[in-house]
Amino acid sequence: MLSTLNKYRAVFSVGLQSNLVYRMNFAIRGFFSFFHLIVVFILWTAAYTGSKAIGGFSFAQTFTYFVALIVVQFMIGAFNEDYQISEDIRNGLINQFLLKPVNYFAYRFSIYLSARLVTGLLILLPVLLSYPLLKDYLVLPTDLWRLTLGLPALAMSALIQFGIAYCFGLMSFWFLEIQGLVILSMALESVLGGQIFPLDLMPEWLFRISQYLPYYYQMYFPVAIFTGRINDPTLVLNGLLIQACWVLVIMALGQVLWRRGLRLHTAVGG
Amino acid sequence: MNHYFRLWLTSARYSIMRALMFRGDFFIWALVELFWMSVNLLMISVIYDHTKLVAGWSKYEMMLLVGTSMLIQRFLMGFFWSSIFEMGRNIRSGHFDFFLAQPGNVMFMATTRKIDPDSLINSAVAMAVVIYSVRQLGLHPSTADLALYVLLVACGVVIHYSMLVLCITPAFWITSAQGIEGSYFTLSEFSRLPRQAFHGLANIAFVWVLPVVVVSNAPASTLLHGFDLKVVGWLLVITVVWFSLAVILFHRGLRRYSSASS
Repeated sequence: MLSTLNKYRAVFSVGLQSNLVYRMNFAIRGFFSFFHLIVVFILWTAAYTGSKAIGGFSFAQTFTYFVALIVVQFMIGAFNEDYQISEDIRNGLINQFLLKPVNYFAYRFSIYLSARLVTGLLILLPVLLSYPLLKDYLVLPTDLWRLTLGLPALAMSALIQFGIAYCFGLMSFWFLEIQGLVILSMALESVLGGQIFPLDLMPEWLFRISQYLPYYYQMYFPVAIFTGRINDPTLVLNGLLIQACWVLVIMALGQVLWRRGLRLHTAVGG
Repeated sequence: MNHYFRLWLTSARYSIMRALMFRGDFFIWALVELFWMSVNLLMISVIYDHTKLVAGWSKYEMMLLVGTSMLIQRFLMGFFWSSIFEMGRNIRSGHFDFFLAQPGNVMFMATTRKIDPDSLINSAVAMAVVIYSVRQLGLHPSTADLALYVLLVACGVVIHYSMLVLCITPAFWITSAQGIEGSYFTLSEFSRLPRQAFHGLANIAFVWVLPVVVVSNAPASTLLHGFDLKVVGWLLVITVVWFSLAVILFHRGLRRYSSASS
């Protein structure tokens, strides 16, 4: 047990180091996010000029939602995990894992965790630096239950994020080129995950449906708990239950794809 | 001129043949673009569910603006994106040599080699959005207004082209220019916003210094409010300025190019 843990701890620390080497990539991403935030700010300021509240939320609440979204994205978002997995399969690099007592899922997950630890901590830097500028537009509720229920939601969101990327990466067993598929699903995620607008602003029926899809639990759910867009703890408990189901489904799907995919795998290169 | 047109036609024919060879890819990418465009329209309809005006623009005026911005972007994607995007990689890998040996201006050859039929097909969708918004607004633009709209959209494509070239050209100086292509997309996000929404520093940066907002706002407001010499003149001037900047910087960079292959 301990040796298994040690194995992935080594992977984790290698991932940590390689992520620190590529801090420039992070800086570029952070820079773009900052500009995106300016667009969000301008658009929603203009939208709020006519009305004090949109969907029952003030401008500050909506803006806080978007800032929190970016922070959470850097903490748990799967950036290019699908692409890396796809490359491993196409280049035959995956063969080495088949010959060693290393679980590929655990290996990839360890790297993902280390990468998010680095980016998640680094993103706090610009947020803290720009806090004096932003503080008039930020409102965070301080109820304790938001923390106790929000953190498990965040953890499960991370599993869903990684799980979906993992499944898409494994598609490379079947398709040579998955980039198109990945971007298509990214577009879907960005809408139904609440990155374009807070999901609660959608028409009621669409919002209801979205609550049963995995995308809702990828990003929107924890962010909505933390920023006060969901205000009923029983609703949150209900959501956590659905979220847990999706975690199980996606993990199982990953397993199935892995087993089936390996049967097709011809181990090129290596 | 004729010579360049024939060169372009040959590359275009080749690109279309390639697209027909990889029909599955073509279909998926066309779908991806279509989906992203719908995402933008969905965002507008969600925002206007809760408010009547955004910076003084009504729902269909906004849709006209976003449609125009999409139209310009589809044309850019269709005619230039792949070539310019690959240019960055080619400069890094040394494959750029290939263009130096071709019978024509290097910038022309390198930036027009590939066209993307999937984007060009989606430009029809963007056009449909524009026409639909014009209908909903009950506008009846004259032929002169339409001609002007076409001219301004063309200027927009030239400006976007110049911006994209300017985003990629640093590859001549810095070898690892990973992700600079993304800066173009970030900038183009601004072109979906109405000019009246910009105040203070943002107004200076994105309306006056960078051309991103005017590019889509000028044609859209021409359809909405008719000819305005100030708007049209401004766009024509910055078209010339930005295109010249791109040409100058590209040729400066070209002088620094020192082939990477062995």
